[in-house]
Amino acid sequence: MTEAALTIDGLGVSFAGFKAVDTFSMVVPQGDVRVLLGANGAGKTTLMDLICGKTRASEGKVFLFDQDITNLQEYRIARAGLARKFQIPSVFRELTVRENLTIACTAMHGVMGNMRLTSTAQEQDRFDQVVETVGVGASLDRIAGALSHGETQWLELGLLMGQGARVILLDEPTAGMTHAETMKTAALIRRMQGTHTLLVVEHDMAFVREIATRITVMHLGRFLAEGTVAQIEQNQQVRDAYLGNGGIR
Amino acid sequence: MADILFIGLSLGSILLLIALGLSIIYGTMGVINMAHGELAMIGAYTAVLAGKYLGIGLIGSIPLGFLVAAVLGLVIERLVIRRLYRRIMDTLLATWGIAILLQQAIRLQFGLSFFGINIDGLGPGLQSVSVPAFLRDPVRLGDFVLQPYRSFIIVMTLILTGVTWLLLYRSAWGIQIRAIMRNPEMAAACGIDVRRVGALIFAFGSGLAGVAGVLLAGLKTVSPDMGASLVVDGFLVVVVGGVGSLVGTLISAGLLGQISGIFASVFNDIAARAVVLAVVIAVIMWRPSGLFNFKGR
Amino acid sequence: MMRSNDRRLEILAYGSFIIAVLVIPLLADVFWLNRIAKYLVFGMLGVAVALSWGYAGVLNLGQGLFFGMGAYMMAMSLKLQSPASVQPDGALLPDFMVWNAAPGASQHLCCISPGSWLWIPFQSQGFGIAMALMLPMLCSFLLGSSIFRLRISGVFVSIITLALVLLARLLLIDAQPLTNGFNGLTDLGWLTIGGYEFDPYAVATYYLVAVAVIVVLLATRFLVATRAGLILQATRDDANRARYLGFNVAAYQVFFFSVSGLIAGMAGMLYVIASEFASPTFLDLSFSISMVIWAAVGGRNSLLGACIGAILINVIEATASESPMLSEAWKAIIGLIFILVVLYLPRGLTGLARDIAARLGERPATSPKEQTQ
Repeated sequence: MTEAALTIDGLGVSFAGFKAVDTFSMVVPQGDVRVLLGANGAGKTTLMDLICGKTRASEGKVFLFDQDITNLQEYRIARAGLARKFQIPSVFRELTVRENLTIACTAMHGVMGNMRLTSTAQEQDRFDQVVETVGVGASLDRIAGALSHGETQWLELGLLMGQGARVILLDEPTAGMTHAETMKTAALIRRMQGTHTLLVVEHDMAFVREIATRITVMHLGRFLAEGTVAQIEQNQQVRDAYLGNGGIR
Repeated sequence: MADILFIGLSLGSILLLIALGLSIIYGTMGVINMAHGELAMIGAYTAVLAGKYLGIGLIGSIPLGFLVAAVLGLVIERLVIRRLYRRIMDTLLATWGIAILLQQAIRLQFGLSFFGINIDGLGPGLQSVSVPAFLRDPVRLGDFVLQPYRSFIIVMTLILTGVTWLLLYRSAWGIQIRAIMRNPEMAAACGIDVRRVGALIFAFGSGLAGVAGVLLAGLKTVSPDMGASLVVDGFLVVVVGGVGSLVGTLISAGLLGQISGIFASVFNDIAARAVVLAVVIAVIMWRPSGLFNFKGR
Repeated sequence: MMRSNDRRLEILAYGSFIIAVLVIPLLADVFWLNRIAKYLVFGMLGVAVALSWGYAGVLNLGQGLFFGMGAYMMAMSLKLQSPASVQPDGALLPDFMVWNAAPGASQHLCCISPGSWLWIPFQSQGFGIAMALMLPMLCSFLLGSSIFRLRISGVFVSIITLALVLLARLLLIDAQPLTNGFNGLTDLGWLTIGGYEFDPYAVATYYLVAVAVIVVLLATRFLVATRAGLILQATRDDANRARYLGFNVAAYQVFFFSVSGLIAGMAGMLYVIASEFASPTFLDLSFSISMVIWAAVGGRNSLLGACIGAILINVIEATASESPMLSEAWKAIIGLIFILVVLYLPRGLTGLARDIAARLGERPATSPKEQTQ
């Protein structure tokens, strides 16, 4: 049994009485690419917001390996080793690709620790590694704002790798991508798999089949089912939730 | 006590008068119009010139001030603002430039003073507009002294607020305006001509500033630099009230007016202003989106 | 390739600026030398604005607050150096305090008016200098800490700083017995270091200011080139992304905001040394906005550009104000220039210079943004 990279225990939050995430629990073992499925409004993005500290949870706990990261400040959660990619790509648009990745690969986070002009050998290694994995070597001196949609998404994945996160949350990484771009993204994610644990929200089933080791299904803020791709595709409950009116309450 | 509240009310109504136009312009177009005070100043000069050359009194100047400022607003929108939509900081800076330009236009009498031509009523000096006789003499109601001109301002402010409310909530334009306030892209996608509505709003807001200027001309001396402090006050009201909230602007103007009225009577004007500024800073720190903001997030 | 070309251009620009600043005393008379010293101080303000606006994305409309603090701290100390502050009985007392004193009040700095004891340590010039640097830095640190930790950003920071500078101005004017109110502090003595008196019209004073400006410019340039400076620009572009990469965004904003405040304070201090007065007009809103205009015209994303923009505008203004008519017209032109710069030259003169250089070198300007200057 591999170690649990991300443990979610009875997590919940409500907005004005509406329980967006309701006593949700799951465990993602290290090295997994876990896909989070669910209809629109099932609470997938909210769950990610809770994990990464964007939204404060009102109940439950989140553990990153052994560390309790529930409701810490975002930057503290990030330093603990968790990275988050948002649906809308977010990179530093006015800086070059090189500068973007240099920032992400910075090992020290304090102001005073960064009063320096050069990278450490360790940072440089990581930088080179990310550049190779993401394949942006040719566009290092381009301004990030001038990249195409797909390239921006990959750069953002590069940032997440560069920051040295052990667990990475991806919110619809292929939204708005062409088929070819989607497949390139899938290849990229598989390359990340060995060193990172991933939790991915995605609707595109073709893409999900490409990347998922296991799938967790959410419905109306609650845990519904978990299993391999094949198991989930056979699961009657999941079919009902997706296709029926989903009237559990 | 009643007279202190009355002073607060009249201060608040002047604040509201200035803030009203700023608020809808900021709410709809995301434009911080630093030239708003200068539009009021133009309104005041309209009253001065109308009195001198057309024999039109202060009350007759009100529609005229609206018109002049609205047309000027339209021109400003066409030439400058249109190119800067949603670049909020840039609008702040560009309209500051417009403000300087308008001030100098009055000081230099549109450049005529270079040729030795002087127009009575313009130039760097102070001007004044006389208040109609029936609004001049204080009315005693027991212990309470009613200043008729200040009451007139309060009434006018209420009327203008009402008109603005009707425009926003009871007209075909209003639906479009509110749609743009909430989501300009979506509004445009629904076929609303965002630029046209924006231009209309800017002109209307400028017109309101013009009226404010006319009314202020009866209260204070008129000078080219009278606008600078107005826009700051107006803007503080808007920010405290919350972007795009008419009710918020109304309440915040009332609140800040009362605060300055009360502190001015207990201490002095400087203390009152200091307290108002401190309150504004505190409110922004506490709720950056203002006291009343429908945008929520 | 593009970058090394940029780099050469930048070194050339900094080098020519520094040489120009250093050789000016050979060309200008004492009157202009003193003026240029003041404009160099404004150039320093341009650097402060570019740092907080261009690099941190924080448009501070109350930079005059920190400038004013530096100015008043220095001026209080120089006021006590002035012969005008030596009373017939030998006591040190600012003249305005004597004039304003209540009849029969103690003729001593401790108690001539409420709070006048605050002036006592300013008898030491070192204290004045220290305060002129420390107070603005401390205040900008406290202000920055409270606003950035609350994640207040964009226009709201501008409004808070604007309200704050207006508030401070009121309090300053209101504290008439302590600050001489509207009139400000005039009739100041000269800065004296190691027995040498810095006559504002002496070449030495010019070099004091010039060297300070050059040092600040280069130090700030270094600061934004460091990793921390790069991360600061990242927080400007996308604060959330920086946060999720593990950076405490507020810490970076506070640090650079404080540096910007320190530079503004130092500028205020030097201005007083060169101009021999401190006035509440330093805290006027229009002065704070003028600084932003200088930086915008020079190029908000360029430290040197903002610095030169400030100097350039002030030199032209001084030339124009030789005649009163021209000076009024100049104000109108400034308004117009500002509109045009915002509309057509958002990167200011620096952007223009870069585009021209790029065209001359037959290289297309590839970047939508100013490279690090």
